[in-house]
Amino acid sequence: MDYEFPDGLKYATTHEWIRIENSIATVGITDYAQHQFGDIVFVELPEVGMVFEKGSNAAEIESVKAVGDLIMPLSGEIIGVNQNLAGTPELVNSSPFVDGWMIKLAFSHASEIDELLSVDKYKQIIQNEEH
Amino acid sequence: MSKEINDIKKTALYEIHLKHGARMVSFAGWEMPVQYESIIKEHEAVRSYAGIFDISHMGEFLLEGKDVIEFLQYIMINDLKLLEPSKGQYSCMCYENGTVIDDLVYYEENPERFRMIVNAANIEKDFQWLTDHLEEFDVKITNLSMKRSRIAFQGPKADENLQPLVDVDLSQINRFYFAHCNIQSNPIFIARTGYTGERGFEISFENEFAEKIWNSLLNTGASPAGLGARDSLRLEACYSLYGHEISNSITPVEAGLSWLVKPKEGIDYIGKEVLMNQKSEGTKRTIVGLNLVDKGIIREHFKIFKNGNNIGYVTSGGYSPTLKKTIGLGLVEKQYSEIGTKIEIEIRNKLLGGEIVTTPFYRNV
Repeated sequence: MDYEFPDGLKYATTHEWIRIENSIATVGITDYAQHQFGDIVFVELPEVGMVFEKGSNAAEIESVKAVGDLIMPLSGEIIGVNQNLAGTPELVNSSPFVDGWMIKLAFSHASEIDELLSVDKYKQIIQNEEH
Repeated sequence: MSKEINDIKKTALYEIHLKHGARMVSFAGWEMPVQYESIIKEHEAVRSYAGIFDISHMGEFLLEGKDVIEFLQYIMINDLKLLEPSKGQYSCMCYENGTVIDDLVYYEENPERFRMIVNAANIEKDFQWLTDHLEEFDVKITNLSMKRSRIAFQGPKADENLQPLVDVDLSQINRFYFAHCNIQSNPIFIARTGYTGERGFEISFENEFAEKIWNSLLNTGASPAGLGARDSLRLEACYSLYGHEISNSITPVEAGLSWLVKPKEGIDYIGKEVLMNQKSEGTKRTIVGLNLVDKGIIREHFKIFKNGNNIGYVTSGGYSPTLKKTIGLGLVEKQYSEIGTKIEIEIRNKLLGGEIVTTPFYRNV
């Protein structure tokens, strides 16, 4: 199966993508992840101002069949959430990297960025999961 | 039919599912398609047009002999006096304590020959139970499950689209009746039954015809639909699913299937005493429809609360593509089962507001 991997992103082993611009990270789930979920019907996002450690659950994602989490790829404070997902969670399926973004965070440990995956590393993880 | 080393079974349509791009999951020992492209799209196709489901994982038995009716009257809770040749009947077979071994449909080919369709997960248990109770009855039971394939063709366009392919007048087959005919010269058993809440048919035939018949049905414009859509459709229609609304710890009366429990005067069928008593006296628990007022998705096993007390649990839950909201079924204490009762459902350590609602959520049959 062919999945989309846009340029300029970092990835987490738990299938989040991370776009870093001006000390702010925008986070969503990858095309591969949304395929695994199937039709997404509900996303419960955190509140702005909440602070999470890297690795904690920041959002609940529910498809018709499955329940999963958005895992914080970096420690930091939530400074924005995608309000459109309340009414149209299917944006995560149709546009996982643009309209289906989930959270924006002000990260607290810039060094954690180095632990994120490059696109090539992330592609390897998917290959391993699929075989 | 190939058997894998790990003993996962594949239906005669396995390769076709892969060609359609299905996501396969193991279900009741079978490798089955859970979805092709999208559960919601497949669900909507069945509600608005037609869908085809591979249900070859289900079991199929043939019961033959002089005493078949007498035997089934003893084993089943429904009354075979309501049957006639060319008609099927939905029923349960129960333990002496009234809980359920399986829910199933049997079809009277003639008074000495019945076809029975049972749940995939219960094939061996059912066959054993039937065999163990043969005693002096003149009945022979044959397990046709692996020799034959089964497809459900469901949706408002099922009649119109299937008619040109078969040499029988479908309008003459009423709900729960069946016929033997040919689909483009391949012999099939066809019954007007289903598990989606739509009009439609379930057909059964020898494995060798599986791919040809599937492709013929596909060419009518029907969408392949997987187990995901099968479950969301049956949940909207509020058809019981074994292991959820009925099980070896839930009786048909508790599950709202009292209408299956028949007096059958003079026949001492298995489970009769408990079930007839429950039917007249009522039960402490009952299956109800559930809605969520707060946002979230109701899922199986979630606990249901009233005034801080745990009053039951969710037996089935999910998202209704037709109603575009979450729906569920739950087993709750009888005193809280009235329509409109406000309840709370525990979802990931939070109590969310919900309500007992009327069922079914949707049916168009």
